[in-house]
Amino acid sequence: MALVRKDLRLELRTRETIVAMVLFAIVMLAILQFGFGTRDDDLTRFVGGLMWVTLAFTAVLGVGRSYVAEREQRVLDGLLVAPVPRTVMLTAKAIAIFLYMTVVEIVVIPLVGIFFVKGPYWDAIGWIAIAAVLANICIALSGTLFSGLALFTRARDLILPVLFLPALVPVVIAGAGATHAVAGGPHDMSEWRGYCLFLLAYAILFALVSVATYDAVFDD
Amino acid sequence: MTPSSTTDGPDRIPGQRAAVIWGVIATILVVVSTIGVFLVAPEDADQGIIQRIFYFHVAIAIASLVAFAVACVAGIIYLRTRSVRWDDVGEASIRIGLLFSVLVVITGSIWAKASWGTWWVWSDPRLVTYLIVVLIYAAYFVLRSSAEDDRKMRYSAIYAIAGFASVPLSFYSVRVAESFVHPVVFTSGGANMPGTMLWWFVVSQVAMIALFIALLEVDLLGRRSERALRRLAMRLESA
Amino acid sequence: MITARGLVHAYGERRAVDGVDLDLAPGERVALAGPNGAGKSTLLRVVATLLRPQSGTLALMGEQLPGGTRAARQAIGYLAHDPLVYLDLTARQNLELYGDLYGVDDRDARIDDLLDRVGLLGRAEDTVRTFSRGMAQRLALARMLLHRPRLLLLDEPHASLDARGAALLDEELLAATSDGRAAVIVTHEVERVARVADRLVVLRAGRVVLDEPTAGLDPMAVRRRYEEVAG
Repeated sequence: MALVRKDLRLELRTRETIVAMVLFAIVMLAILQFGFGTRDDDLTRFVGGLMWVTLAFTAVLGVGRSYVAEREQRVLDGLLVAPVPRTVMLTAKAIAIFLYMTVVEIVVIPLVGIFFVKGPYWDAIGWIAIAAVLANICIALSGTLFSGLALFTRARDLILPVLFLPALVPVVIAGAGATHAVAGGPHDMSEWRGYCLFLLAYAILFALVSVATYDAVFDD
Repeated sequence: MTPSSTTDGPDRIPGQRAAVIWGVIATILVVVSTIGVFLVAPEDADQGIIQRIFYFHVAIAIASLVAFAVACVAGIIYLRTRSVRWDDVGEASIRIGLLFSVLVVITGSIWAKASWGTWWVWSDPRLVTYLIVVLIYAAYFVLRSSAEDDRKMRYSAIYAIAGFASVPLSFYSVRVAESFVHPVVFTSGGANMPGTMLWWFVVSQVAMIALFIALLEVDLLGRRSERALRRLAMRLESA
Repeated sequence: MITARGLVHAYGERRAVDGVDLDLAPGERVALAGPNGAGKSTLLRVVATLLRPQSGTLALMGEQLPGGTRAARQAIGYLAHDPLVYLDLTARQNLELYGDLYGVDDRDARIDDLLDRVGLLGRAEDTVRTFSRGMAQRLALARMLLHRPRLLLLDEPHASLDARGAALLDEELLAATSDGRAAVIVTHEVERVARVADRLVVLRAGRVVLDEPTAGLDPMAVRRRYEEVAG
């Protein structure tokens, strides 16, 4: 908990990561919107894809920032000599990533919803939000692992997306699917439920991977 | 030290015999299954000769999953023992598994061309999944090449474990998506295969797994020889 | 407090630490010296549990590693070239973080006491980014002492501490004998450290080439002894 509070204190003071993430997400959405064609087209069919591709890239950006303070200010050794199990350290990082993604989504999802959602607005947003929370757990667990692996590699800024994006493909598919299921007017709840269950399975599987591997990431 | 002392005892490379035996077994099985698949197994009523690619396509796919599973287990053992041997097993398995996955994509693409008229079908879950699998394991080598020594081996082991978790997730995510778009694309198929087809499929499957083991043994033998050679060179240098 | 046998740590083929035996009893303060690239810092990092030895055994505070790593870490105070504090947190926030990581019971009182001793109480609420190098290193000293470690591992401490920090460190080290703490001080200024150390260990190419008591010797005599073996 002290580690999470430290990350949040740093973020509150510098506001480096979250502001950049939110801006990036909005710019990305705008680019995708223009890339897809004119504003007359009905993009509701693509809203899930647009949103989750954006969130995936935003996640890569945010996860890539997750050890910046430790690396640039060379603090990591200080944390590593402390009697804190590595699994606890990485879990704290995962919680921070989860919170950052949540903040981004609090901005992005309602914004996307205004333009694309058909039918009752808050209703659809609510269902999407539940899927987003599950997806954030997936992103946080796998992102923590891959950012830890990329931390001491050469060309780490390139390595992270190469490792992280393929693992995010299932999250994008399921997030987009769940969004699609409730965005276009009448909800298809069985479809939504299928995707959410899948996200839950992803989270559980990566939780197991995390338990098996987190201890070894910083074990030099 | 007399020169002859380097040729016996401690400097014999272990695993030569295993590599030869598995090489012979794999060769025989591959030849038998090729003959069986092309000359003995009955022709598929709908698809004709192109359906025969199925035996290799699916067998290689499953063999590549076996390879990735071996790499995952090797990763777990490496993290426990920190022994270079298990790093070797992990890397060699993933190299062969990646090669097999590329073959899966190629054979699948040929099959798609023959039966649907296009090289690539995004709505076919198998092809799309394998593309993701290829990407996941290609990244393994990018990671390996950007770290050194102990760190490289440790990161590789961790990634082999995480990658193997991603494989079933990719499979199911693509299939969950498919099931809502084309609910009938895949029944848990293959069960209605005629008996002889099934039999030849099993033979091809065993052949591919034997091929994996043979390639693995040869690869490991190569690494051991290289290490032995380097040790010898160092000894000569210091002598 | 340290029992090391045959420690080896290699970077690839190059063995930075090549079969080191080292014993340290409570109350001992050993100066660890050697030419550049002799493996001093690597050895210190191995003992600090930051690097895993590829072979050899290491026991700290009677705990065999790697099993007893966590208990050992609780007893280690590590001072590195870098202060190991976050530049964008205040001095107090940094110490609060470390206090929580080490589970220090009387955290806030302890922080006030240490900040006072390193002369940073007045700057406690300023971010470390505004500190001079010497001040940051004094904060690092407070960070190291926060959890009352019994084994101090110091990497070139006098190189980056200012006069005030150095005086405080010497005082802490000299007090160590009476309360059973031990220290390893990596240094290339042998005569400087000889004033607070009572034993000299010299490394060369990853191996121990000298290990003998220096208590009561004149610092310049220790320097000469060092130069004899270090070459």
